[in-house]
Amino acid sequence: MSVPVPQVPVKPVAVNRQMPQFATFTIYLLTTGIGVVALLYPFWLPSVVQTGQGGMAHAQDAPLILTLLVGLAFAVLLLEVQTAAGSAKTVALLGVLVAINSILRFVDVAIPGPGGFSPIFVLIILGGYIFGGRIGFLLGVMTLLVSALITGAVGPWLPYQMFTAGWIGLSAPLCRPLVRALGAEGRAGEIWVLAIFGAIWGIIFGIIINLWFWPFVAGSASQYWQPGIGVWATVQRYMVFYAATSLVWDSSRALGNALLILAFGAAILRVLRRFHRRFVFHYAPAPVRAPVVYAPALTPTPRVEVQP
Amino acid sequence: LSDDGAIHGLAWACWLGVILLIVTLSRNPWYLGLALVWVSVVDAFARRRPLLGRVAPLWSPLRFGLVVIPLTAFFNFLTVHVGTTVLVRLPASWPVIGGALTLEALVYGALNGLALTCIFAAFAVVNRVVSLRALIQLIPRTYYPVAVITAIAVTFVPATLYHWQQIREAQAVRGHRLRGLRSWLPLWLPLLTGGLERALQLAEAMTARGFAGGPAHYPAARLMLLAAGLLAVLGGLLVRLIGAGDLWSSLLMVGGGGAVLWVLRAAGRQHPHTRYRPMPWRGRDWVVVGGALITATVWLLPLPGRSTIFFTPYPTLTLPALALSTGIALWGLLAPAAVWLAMPPPVEEGAGAGGAWEGEQQHDRI
Repeated sequence: MSVPVPQVPVKPVAVNRQMPQFATFTIYLLTTGIGVVALLYPFWLPSVVQTGQGGMAHAQDAPLILTLLVGLAFAVLLLEVQTAAGSAKTVALLGVLVAINSILRFVDVAIPGPGGFSPIFVLIILGGYIFGGRIGFLLGVMTLLVSALITGAVGPWLPYQMFTAGWIGLSAPLCRPLVRALGAEGRAGEIWVLAIFGAIWGIIFGIIINLWFWPFVAGSASQYWQPGIGVWATVQRYMVFYAATSLVWDSSRALGNALLILAFGAAILRVLRRFHRRFVFHYAPAPVRAPVVYAPALTPTPRVEVQP
Repeated sequence: LSDDGAIHGLAWACWLGVILLIVTLSRNPWYLGLALVWVSVVDAFARRRPLLGRVAPLWSPLRFGLVVIPLTAFFNFLTVHVGTTVLVRLPASWPVIGGALTLEALVYGALNGLALTCIFAAFAVVNRVVSLRALIQLIPRTYYPVAVITAIAVTFVPATLYHWQQIREAQAVRGHRLRGLRSWLPLWLPLLTGGLERALQLAEAMTARGFAGGPAHYPAARLMLLAAGLLAVLGGLLVRLIGAGDLWSSLLMVGGGGAVLWVLRAAGRQHPHTRYRPMPWRGRDWVVVGGALITATVWLLPLPGRSTIFFTPYPTLTLPALALSTGIALWGLLAPAAVWLAMPPPVEEGAGAGGAWEGEQQHDRI
């Protein structure tokens, strides 16, 4: 005769996930908004100048405002994203991946590739794609930081490079829905999607990086004296400047990203997936079932399941 | 221990900040030129000290200037059709570059290039004289995980290089030759796999030694304050863009920025830590900070002659004015050189001659 044992309800951990998730989403939205508006600020500047409300002063402080706002958005985003590096495994994983990627940058600096070609973006894209956006963001940011430290490339461009490389890693998981929709997981289609993604970012990276010195190149006061110049005219100037100075340079980066992902992507993805199962897993207490016992029930011990 | 003449990283940050302030505010060629000359003097003194920083950048400031100044001048000359001294007139139907090409636009472009060169030269000095350890120590406490990852990565770089060399030799013994892109795969994959295996071992060692980072917990109220601060900054920026009012824009941006900085500071307090080898703050650091502050103060206060800072060649090019007090204030940038001048000349020990990397490894092991 079995003794009926009452079901022991397992109380979920009392964590209010909604508020942090909402706050996190808001923070992502706002930091991206500030970053985008701040980067586009120099394009709006001529219109601001023409409004006459202290426009000249705004023209003078454009680089300062740009740097402060991008810095602020970056600082907040980094604060949020670094929560992903909570465990020893994640910290060690990032440390080693960043070291490997920094070596690639070191090699690239010592033996420069054609144009803006750099091998560092492959691991940032594939790491973000496999390990998630936060890890991808940190991988991008830390790669640029550490490689700048060891190659002596610390400069005013560094925050922009870090922010943009972080965005590359952060956005890499956006490929997943497309890959799923194509039914290409683990197939050649997945590599093609990632290669195209890498090529697009190769160009966008250059467009954003150039913005750090664009207020210097564009000149601010000069706009004040030119009647009728607006956002589009400034964008046109930037496009001319970009096409003349950077397009060829950035095209080699885009092509390089695509080629490297096509050549090495499948093999690297296999390795990263294998280690993803070993590095990233969650302990979740299994729901306790009523044990079939013949004696007074003992306090059930939550079982630990390892879920990849 | 011999004194290597190191100046604290925070003091260098102040020095750098003032140079950024100067090039942001001014397009007066006298001041920009003076700032560049003083930075070059500091650079010359830095080259006589032991190399504390990393390898020197590939581009020297001179080379950078020779490329960038003509580039910015030419671009501005072609695309900005402002000024009264017309040198050439292109057909107005030509997009972007069509119209009058003026001397003023050419000069203004060159001045922008000069400002960029000044920034580049200042960062080149900092790269040379600030050690890796000092730079990592500059990472704020708020970003404790980032600092830990940076320290691990920097420590692993030499090990990874050594591992790479081993893999190359092993593959060469097996007859591997580099032919085409895909032939790099047998080199990179073992490097990646080996690195990730070492990361697992490192994680176990860290856990065994009591590393317990754990996910950071930020109270909901603080997160909401952070979001509100960001919203205020974004609002202030948009108000500024539509020109709806400078006062409101400034209030929103300063208030929002203050709230964000407060939350960041509060987050940093969650990570109490001690430093194994803290870098002392010495008298020489006060000298550098003092020099930078004197320059910043004279440049920011409404003193006579301050208007000369805001030189513009438009609409007609004139000779820029030079105010004595504003020019002399730039001498504050020479403080690092003065510190080194007052110190005995460095002793050639051979250490660091092969780059700072070897020296850093003695300090930066974790």
